Amino acid sequence: MSSLRTTSTFKLGMWLLLAPLCLWLVLLIILPHLELLVFSFTDPEKDSFTFGFYQEFFLEPLYWRTFVRTAVMSIMATILTLLIAFPVAFYIAKMLKGRSKGIVFAMCLIPFWVSELVRTFGWMILLRESGVISNFLQWSGLSDGPVELLYTDATIMLGLVYTSMLFMVVPLVSTLDSLDDSYIEAGYDLGGTNWNVLREIVIPHAVPGIVSGCIIVFMLSLGNYLTPVLLGGKDSLWFTEQIYTQFITRFNWEQGSAFGLLLLLLSSLIVWAGLKISGQSFAKTMG
Amino acid sequence: MSKETTIDLACENICKHFSDFTAVDNISFTIPKGSFFSILGPSGCGKTTLLRMLAGFEQPSSGDLLIKQQSMLDVPPNKRPVNMVFQHLALFPTMNIEENIGYGLRRQSVPKSEIAERVAAVLERVGLAGSGKKRVEQLSGGQRQRIALARCLVLNPTLLLLDEPLGALDLKLREQMKIELKLLQKEFGTTFVYITHDQSEALVMSDQIAVMNKGKFEQVGTPHQLYYQPETAFVAGFVGDSNRWQGTVESIASSTVLVNTNDGLSFKAKVMGDKAISAGNSVEIFVRPEAINVSRTVPSEETDNQLVCQVETILFDGAKSQIIAVEKESGGKITVTLPQTSDFANLQNYDTIYLNWSAEQTLCFLDNAESNGGV
Repeated sequence: MSSLRTTSTFKLGMWLLLAPLCLWLVLLIILPHLELLVFSFTDPEKDSFTFGFYQEFFLEPLYWRTFVRTAVMSIMATILTLLIAFPVAFYIAKMLKGRSKGIVFAMCLIPFWVSELVRTFGWMILLRESGVISNFLQWSGLSDGPVELLYTDATIMLGLVYTSMLFMVVPLVSTLDSLDDSYIEAGYDLGGTNWNVLREIVIPHAVPGIVSGCIIVFMLSLGNYLTPVLLGGKDSLWFTEQIYTQFITRFNWEQGSAFGLLLLLLSSLIVWAGLKISGQSFAKTMG
Repeated sequence: MSKETTIDLACENICKHFSDFTAVDNISFTIPKGSFFSILGPSGCGKTTLLRMLAGFEQPSSGDLLIKQQSMLDVPPNKRPVNMVFQHLALFPTMNIEENIGYGLRRQSVPKSEIAERVAAVLERVGLAGSGKKRVEQLSGGQRQRIALARCLVLNPTLLLLDEPLGALDLKLREQMKIELKLLQKEFGTTFVYITHDQSEALVMSDQIAVMNKGKFEQVGTPHQLYYQPETAFVAGFVGDSNRWQGTVESIASSTVLVNTNDGLSFKAKVMGDKAISAGNSVEIFVRPEAINVSRTVPSEETDNQLVCQVETILFDGAKSQIIAVEKESGGKITVTLPQTSDFANLQNYDTIYLNWSAEQTLCFLDNAESNGGV
């Protein structure tokens, strides 16, 4: 009898705890997407079902090319972020001890207390034609006239990598932290070189952190709006810009909805393919 | 003859200083080929630091380290002919058993087919043939132990270092692994350097034991020597169980002294150690519980040391049971081994027992404080 009661109290407690999560999922994720879904399949003039907005994406080269460009650049940004963040994370997790470890980790975090917008303006101050770097180059005689460093793909890449850094470093530090030093020592003791130990012991152990970091960074880059627009300028051709244009400039909510859903679908597809290629499962990475 | 004198490892005046203390203090020793050498000491005595210097993970502050007559000081860990079994084994969890054992061979660019052969052969020798495809977590504690050994032995190291690998096992398995380790060492003929704080592990397995304390070797010898002829009070107290008393020397006759202990007992004892003892010195004396004859009747013949005691407590532990007895006049306590004869089957608290033992078995050392020049 009493056990029955505890079970039912337990169930009630569980539902109460889950309630905020369920509300959040239903109200902020599922409902808006259902709305988008309905929008994207409705012809506003005849108020009937249509496939046209999706067709538009594939028939108009500008749209799908923009998407491919966005995806490729996001993948590149993810790889670059990983290559830069891995040594940083390894240094923090394995080389530093005690106080200095906390301090360096905090130093990685501090720039992210400033909003993304302000940080991006910071880059603009450095890189624009009348900016710090340009002035320095002219002053030191390395350049005859002003140098415009903004509004190139490389600048976008720089901004994306910088913005994503933290989201790669944190999961990497936590997985590398959990790697016992004795594994690394055993790797050397049995005759391994730095490269062997890295490839056979450190990286296999860090794979879950690498994968979850990459998923987060890829999704953030793909869905980023501010950085490509501010650093890439008018011709940045980022897919989120297309969505913005449809919703705000053209007031074409139906087309915007279709693009939004396509972005979700295609990015999920890329993540899925990435997991398949690296032989990881989503559950294993998140667990 | 030449085989017996081949020295695999020689340490010459090895020191290791950390910023505020000395972990290893001027140690020199040699280990002959094929022997099982243990370094026994309490935690914090510097034995792990010493082992890590042999493996190459720490650099000695001074001194030299020779393996097969070659200095190892400038040789990184991955180039030394030395392999280590780690305290928690450090089997790579991302690899299966075969890949774990093959890791070192792959580093030596051994051809694939040969790796497979050698891995299978070593698995067979450690009694785990056919488990190459298993994952590390599928094996029991004892099996992992053997895999960790196999992973090192497959590389035919000159020296195998073992860092208390039995510490994590339960008692039964530990007893079993002790014997197994010894047998494997004999079979492979590899020189083992084993560090432990467990004297029983060291005594059972080793050919030679070094007892280490505060960064120095107190004594190096066979298990038998350490047990019966300890050279310092630390060794006498650390290796095996002992009754231990502090006392003052009453009189001295050749190598036998008469000592009055602080709790009022009086013993004849044999002078040990290299320090001269004279009357009035404060000393420590040690008697092993199993060296004491126990009888329930007054013994017929006179021996050097005799006590009439009352049983205070019986600590029952099967064959290792002990009696804690109280000397009737002084109230001083003494621990003796409970004989397993029928006489003692009905021994009760408060029964009277008669203890006697020879001066030979009573070891007397000059008190540490006194030998250091202090009070």
